[in-house]
Amino acid sequence: MVEIDVMIKAEDVNKEYKREGAIIRALVDINLEIKEGQFVIIQGPTACGKSTLLNVLSGLDLPDSGKIILDGENISRSTEDRLSRIRRRKIGFVFQDFNLVNNLTAIENVEATLWPTVLRNKEIENRAITALRDVDLLERKDHFPVQMSGGEKQRAAIARAIVHRPRVILADEPTGNLDPDSEKRIMDLLKKINKDYDTTMIIVTHRDLSKYGDRLIKMDKGRIVSAK
Amino acid sequence: MRLFKKSVLLTLRSRRRFIVFTLMYTSLLFWASFSLDITPILGNIGITSFFIAMGISIFLSLLYAWIITNYRRREIATLKCIGWTNRNCQSIIIGEILFTTFFGFIIVVEILFHIVALLGYFYSVYNPTFVASGLPLISLASVFITFIMFILVQLIGIFLGTRRVLKVRPIIALRKVGI
Repeated sequence: MVEIDVMIKAEDVNKEYKREGAIIRALVDINLEIKEGQFVIIQGPTACGKSTLLNVLSGLDLPDSGKIILDGENISRSTEDRLSRIRRRKIGFVFQDFNLVNNLTAIENVEATLWPTVLRNKEIENRAITALRDVDLLERKDHFPVQMSGGEKQRAAIARAIVHRPRVILADEPTGNLDPDSEKRIMDLLKKINKDYDTTMIIVTHRDLSKYGDRLIKMDKGRIVSAK
Repeated sequence: MRLFKKSVLLTLRSRRRFIVFTLMYTSLLFWASFSLDITPILGNIGITSFFIAMGISIFLSLLYAWIITNYRRREIATLKCIGWTNRNCQSIIIGEILFTTFFGFIIVVEILFHIVALLGYFYSVYNPTFVASGLPLISLASVFITFIMFILVQLIGIFLGTRRVLKVRPIIALRKVGI
C-alpha cells in the first residue's frame, strides 16, 4: 500500500552493470521514499550510483530487481512507450548538457514537449510563453541555443521541463557546466518552481548544494549512506 | 499531423543535408522519368534504367534515415526523455524524407516548365506560328508516375531506416558530451 503523499518509492532496488568483464553493482538494496513537493538533493562522488538511481527512478533504466513506484504506479516493468507517456505526463528532465535541439529556437524547444499531445497550437504556445516567463527568458524566445549563454540554455531547458506541469522534476548535475553565479540563479529558480507549483524536485549532484534541499541523500558505492 | 509539419521545419533548418539530398532526389527523378519516357522507343533499356533509379531511391532513403538517426541520436534520446514515443520520433524522420522527395519533385516540375518556356521562346523567335508541342521534353505524366513510384518504394527504405530509432535509448541523453 503506497501512501498518497509519496511521489516516488524505491523498494529493494538493485542494478548491476557488466563493464570489461567485471560486474559493477551500481545500486545495492536501495529503499527510498520521496514525498510530494520535497526538494531532494542526491549527492555523492563520481560513479557512486547517483545517476543510475536517477535513471531508474525516472524509468529511463529498469532495475534488475525491486520496484519503483511513481505516483502510485509501478513502473519497473513497463514498456518503453508506456514509460515515455508516463514521463510526458509526470516527469520533467533537466540535463547537465542542456540537451536543447540546436535547430529549434528557445520557444520551439519548450513547445516540443507538447507537440505529441492533443493540445491546440495556441494552448501550446501560451504554455511555452508562461514557462519562459517563469524562467525569465521570454525576451530570448526566438533565439537559437547557439545564441544563448550556458545559464540561458539551462533556463530554457528548465522551461521545457516545466511546460507540461509535471509532478516531478529530475535534474542530473543541472549546474555542472555553469559558473557559480549561474549556479545560484538556476538553483534559486528550481527552488522557486518547487515552492510555486509544489513540484517534487530530485537533484543529482557531486557538488554541495545541500542548502537548497529539504532532504539530503548521500550515496557511496551504490548504497545510500545517509538520508536526512 | 503536427509532427509532420514540425519535421518540415526541421528539414528546412538542416540546410546542407536538405540541399544535398534534394539535389540527389531531383537527379534521380529526372533519370527515372526520362527512362520511363524512352521506354516505348528503347524498350528494355528504358525499363532497366527506371528500375535501377528506383533501387537507388530505396538506397538513398535508407542512407537518409541512417544519417538522420545517427546525427540526431542525442536529440532523439532527449525527445524520448521528455515523453516522445518511438512513433513520434519516427514521424519526424519520415516527414523529413518525404518532404525532401516532394521538394525534389517540385524542382523537377519547375525545371520542366522553365525548359518549355525557354524552348518555346527560342522556337517562336524563328517560327512565329510555333505551337509548343512535340518539344524534346520529359512528359509530366512520366514525372508524376515516377514520383508516386518513388514515394511507394521509399516507404520500404523509410520503414527499414527508421527501425534504428527504436534502438536509440533515452538514457543516452543523460550521458555527458564526449563520454
